Amino acid sequence: MTAQELAQSLVIAAPELLIAIGAMALLMVGVFVRKESANAIVTSLTVALLVAALGWMVFFAPMGPAFGGAYVHDAFTFFMKMLVLIGSIVALVMSVGFAREEKFDRFEFPILIALSTLGMMLMVSADNLLSLYMALELQSLALYVIAAINRDSARSTEAGLKYFVLGALSSGMMLYGISLIYGFTGHIGFDEIAAAVTGGERSIGVLFGLVFLLTGLAFKISAVPFHMWTPDVYEGAPTPVTAFFAAAPKMAAMAMLVRVVMDAFQPVTADWQQIIVFISIASMVLGAFAAIGQRNIKRLMAYSSIGHMGYALVGLAAGTVAGVQGVMLYMAIYLAMTLGTFAFILAMRRKDEGNVEQISDLAGYASNNPLMAAILTALMFSLAGIPPLAGFWGKWYVFLAAVEAGLWPLAIIGVLSSVVGAYYYLRIVKIMWFDDAEGRFVAPAGELRLVMGASGVFVLAYIVFGGPIAAYAEAAARTFF
Amino acid sequence: MDLTFLAFFAPFIAAAFAPVLVRLLGHNAAWVLALVPALIFVHFAGFLPQVAEGGRVTGGVQWIPSFNVNFSWLIDGLSLTFALLISGIGTLIVLYAGGYMKGHPQQGRFLCFILMFMAAMQGLVLSDSFFMFFVFWELTSITSFLLIGFNHNAERSRRAAMQALVVTGGGGLILLAGLIFLWNMTGVSEFSLLLGTGDLVRESPFYLAALILVLGGAFTKSAQFPLHFWLPNAMEAPTPVSAYLHSATMVKAGVYLLMRLNPVLGDTIAWETILPLFGGATLLVGTFLAVRQTDLKLMLAYTTVASLGLLVMLTGFGTEKAIEGAVLYLVAHSLFKGALFMVAGNVDHEAGTRDVTKLGGLLAAMPITFGAAILSAFSMAGLPPFVGFLAKEEIYYGIAASDPWSVFITTVAIVGNALMLVIGFAVAVKPFLGPKVETPKSAHEAPLLMYAGPVLLAALSLAAALWSGLFHQFISSPMASAVAGAPLEITISIIPKPGIALTLSIVTIAIGAILYFGLARLRAAMAASLEAIGWGPDQGFDQFMRGLVRLSVVLTRTLQNGRMEFYMTATFVLLALWLFRTMFVAGEWPAVPAFPVLSIYEWVTVSIIAIGLIAVVRAKNRLTAIVSLGIQGFAVAILFMLMGAPDLSFTQFMVETLTVVILALAMTRLRLSPQDHRSAGQTVLDGTIAIACGVALTFILLQILQTPFDRTLTEFFNLYSYSLAQGRNIVNVILVDFRGVDTFGEIGVVMVAGLAILALLRIVPKRSLGSAPAPRVPAPEPVAVGKE
Repeated sequence: MTAQELAQSLVIAAPELLIAIGAMALLMVGVFVRKESANAIVTSLTVALLVAALGWMVFFAPMGPAFGGAYVHDAFTFFMKMLVLIGSIVALVMSVGFAREEKFDRFEFPILIALSTLGMMLMVSADNLLSLYMALELQSLALYVIAAINRDSARSTEAGLKYFVLGALSSGMMLYGISLIYGFTGHIGFDEIAAAVTGGERSIGVLFGLVFLLTGLAFKISAVPFHMWTPDVYEGAPTPVTAFFAAAPKMAAMAMLVRVVMDAFQPVTADWQQIIVFISIASMVLGAFAAIGQRNIKRLMAYSSIGHMGYALVGLAAGTVAGVQGVMLYMAIYLAMTLGTFAFILAMRRKDEGNVEQISDLAGYASNNPLMAAILTALMFSLAGIPPLAGFWGKWYVFLAAVEAGLWPLAIIGVLSSVVGAYYYLRIVKIMWFDDAEGRFVAPAGELRLVMGASGVFVLAYIVFGGPIAAYAEAAARTFF
Repeated sequence: MDLTFLAFFAPFIAAAFAPVLVRLLGHNAAWVLALVPALIFVHFAGFLPQVAEGGRVTGGVQWIPSFNVNFSWLIDGLSLTFALLISGIGTLIVLYAGGYMKGHPQQGRFLCFILMFMAAMQGLVLSDSFFMFFVFWELTSITSFLLIGFNHNAERSRRAAMQALVVTGGGGLILLAGLIFLWNMTGVSEFSLLLGTGDLVRESPFYLAALILVLGGAFTKSAQFPLHFWLPNAMEAPTPVSAYLHSATMVKAGVYLLMRLNPVLGDTIAWETILPLFGGATLLVGTFLAVRQTDLKLMLAYTTVASLGLLVMLTGFGTEKAIEGAVLYLVAHSLFKGALFMVAGNVDHEAGTRDVTKLGGLLAAMPITFGAAILSAFSMAGLPPFVGFLAKEEIYYGIAASDPWSVFITTVAIVGNALMLVIGFAVAVKPFLGPKVETPKSAHEAPLLMYAGPVLLAALSLAAALWSGLFHQFISSPMASAVAGAPLEITISIIPKPGIALTLSIVTIAIGAILYFGLARLRAAMAASLEAIGWGPDQGFDQFMRGLVRLSVVLTRTLQNGRMEFYMTATFVLLALWLFRTMFVAGEWPAVPAFPVLSIYEWVTVSIIAIGLIAVVRAKNRLTAIVSLGIQGFAVAILFMLMGAPDLSFTQFMVETLTVVILALAMTRLRLSPQDHRSAGQTVLDGTIAIACGVALTFILLQILQTPFDRTLTEFFNLYSYSLAQGRNIVNVILVDFRGVDTFGEIGVVMVAGLAILALLRIVPKRSLGSAPAPRVPAPEPVAVGKE
């Protein structure tokens, strides 16, 4: 790599560099400011840092490959990184009120979020197996600690430990897969791998490598059968952490999965397609059926996220432009819905009990706060995929892509499980509007109201401004073809 | 702007203003609000001449061009008739609701919901695009949910609302799948274009799938047996809702869909079997259950179910006469059933009860209501000179034939019609005639707002029959043509013509008359037999819902039990399965390798590995196990050395040392129980899984070894070791020259790991600081996470 190439690479990766350097600087800030105010200061600085990185990426960062093909920034990564950053920023902003009320003062929390965000951005941009693995580990190690951030709570530490053990296992499998792929193709770059498996016999070794690699990736997006950590971590971790887990990491992992299969393994679509179809169906069905009996709303959201990943994978299974476009839109819409829903979960605070997490606690929400209840209703309808809300369009795109690709059974199972899934979203609506109130929630903090409002507007008005987003996603999806 | 486009949105706008208007004007706001549907009615009536001449009006605007979805409408005989019924009856219902809900604190909200529903229903029938159709279809389900649950303090209302939403909303999603099928089969997403693709659809291999999905939507919406139960439960809604949604309009959406798709999906064996079967069953079940009821609204509700069954059955036959009968009956039913529901509402409102056994002699108090009731009952009974008579004559023409299937169907129709006659008169006559019965409220005539609707509808039932020529020309013939997909001309008039139809009519009336007088006994018999059965789809729905919840609970308990061990087990089981499956699918199993020739040193080392492994498995406590694992690792390192890879061997030694030290430190500090607490069975299971994974991985390794060795690198190092790096020892050159940075990195990693060990060593368990030694606690059970 010449100096000029290096300089060019640094310019392309400037947003990531900004976060990397900023996070390290903030660690120092956290150590040297007074302990009581450390969390607040570092949180706001981290938000500023992430916003700056987002701004930089949107306005200044040029696109192109960097670091000798280890990294790439194109329309697809732009779209997905934007989702990652928005997810991280919003999750962090939503933690402010919680931190204040619950005396949750660990300045490491925002910094870990920044570091994991860095990992996610690199995951999205990774263009060979090695940078992919490094980025993934950076993200995962930060997430393991974040899951157990509340280390005085047995539930939080248990969640963190489970996540760590299963996560390490999946990382190990992935690494095994990567070495098999490298061994059999002789390459780690995605394009070179694609060239190596094009035409002729693809060896069984690559196939094994692919299986291991997909296993690791499935774990990261919490798709069945590697979803087991999700409900426990969602329930055990502090709510802002759960909100974060539900948003940004999913975006990054899905982006990574899309890039791996669409870029490196596109020539052997048939080989990975059957695996994706299987985990997609399993995720949709389990997500739909297991959620019905849940009483804890965070656990419910865990199953909901499993199901939603299944729907997003429907698009990926198609393996076409429309499919990738569907995945991208699905993830964007899912991000808005899940952040909005978690804003409500964070707002479920009673004066005397603190935060409550049971679905039954929402009883009578509509009579106490009709506007909020209306927004949450819209979100629930949207999650259920009822038109004309945003969630419907997400499903629309992926199912359409599947049908066009001839995957009829997948689309039909998807529609049927979304029918079952609608049940538990509608149950929340029913509890809010028709059950008798048990008590009031305290007025939510300003930032939560902002998030709720924004996500409410998004799901309601998506039909109006969805066109340009879809057009952009389509253009971005074409980068793989 | 196109007025039709405005007509789509006008009721929504009116709905938005309804609460404000009610606050300003009280119940008189209904007069203002009724103007909106009335104007829409006038607007659509303007299309009548054009449509009567066989015209078809389509129009629309681009809605979401990027999705290729248009906001387009289709006005033909079928949709126009529906639009007129919706806006016309809608006008009367808004007025009626003004009187019925007078003084209700939420009257504004009620009118708002009703108008929203009207907009949704009207959009449904006029939609040309599938997507609009689906959106409006689901909107009718949602507004119906809001209206059924209007009295949301009552548990029963809430249950009924939820039940209706689950059934109809779920059916809507199934329908969506069906529409997408049709779209993919034909490539068009608009009804106006779809109508010309019938042959293509019928010959498609996906025809049956598409048909079943479409029927899933239509049957749930139109309450076909065995999914009929939500409709009677929906009677929890205020009476204007029952009159409008659950008899005249919404429940006919399913029939509308079937009629709309008849030219596309009809005329096949599947269509002509499934529809009459379900329709006929619904007709019989509906009428028999209606007989059992004593609540006026429930009696009417079950006859509505029956009527829907009749309509589905007739649509299924698809013959000219059957379609004509269905069309006539659909219009007639909307008129008389809407009126009768409003009559029931008036009786309830004025007398304070809807129980037919507690009513009687209201004629003197409510003469106008009775007038409307008796006229509508005549129409329902199919007596001349009402439109119901025309319908029934045409139906009998349509189904009467001599083959056994037709005889059976005719019998079903006669029994159904006779029972409907009974119910019609029971509702219209029983409360009004006979001795005066003491009612909870002292009854007097309902106000103008409340009798205007039924009287007008009853009058229309009469007028449509008296001026049947005009009626056929403008309404029924165009509609029948649209349903059949070919021009049809209805000619039937109120002057009875001798023939098979008239005979059957007379038989029906005779049976009905006999049954009417034995109604009390019939009701008791029905009640007894239903009690004997003791189960119905309504309970079935609850059981199904409970079953779903139980399934979910069981599923999460077993799959998500919060135990780490289980999660690991599941992961490894799946891994093993997946690997074997990959080999199986690819059909590539490793060849059995030749037995290796080993030197004595190698034999010794391999035995050490084997002994180490056995020691790990049999170790009594953790430390022994860890150390044994280390032995096995060191032996592998020696093996590397023997094979001539000193660098690899050296790395292995370092990594193995560090692993043993870190594991030992971590495990001993965690204060876990020293013993393996697994049961024998568990051990066997875990062992099996471990062996399976091991075998799978061994197979992979064998396969890798059996692929031809790539000598590129070997040759490269042979050639260039000396010329590039000035070294004769290739291994040395590789380590310090070709991949010197890597070696440096490896050393760095080992150093960092060493530092981590140092850090671990410096951690002193807090509790052991005190004088007492830390208690050895058994491995803690997982905390409550993950347990419901």
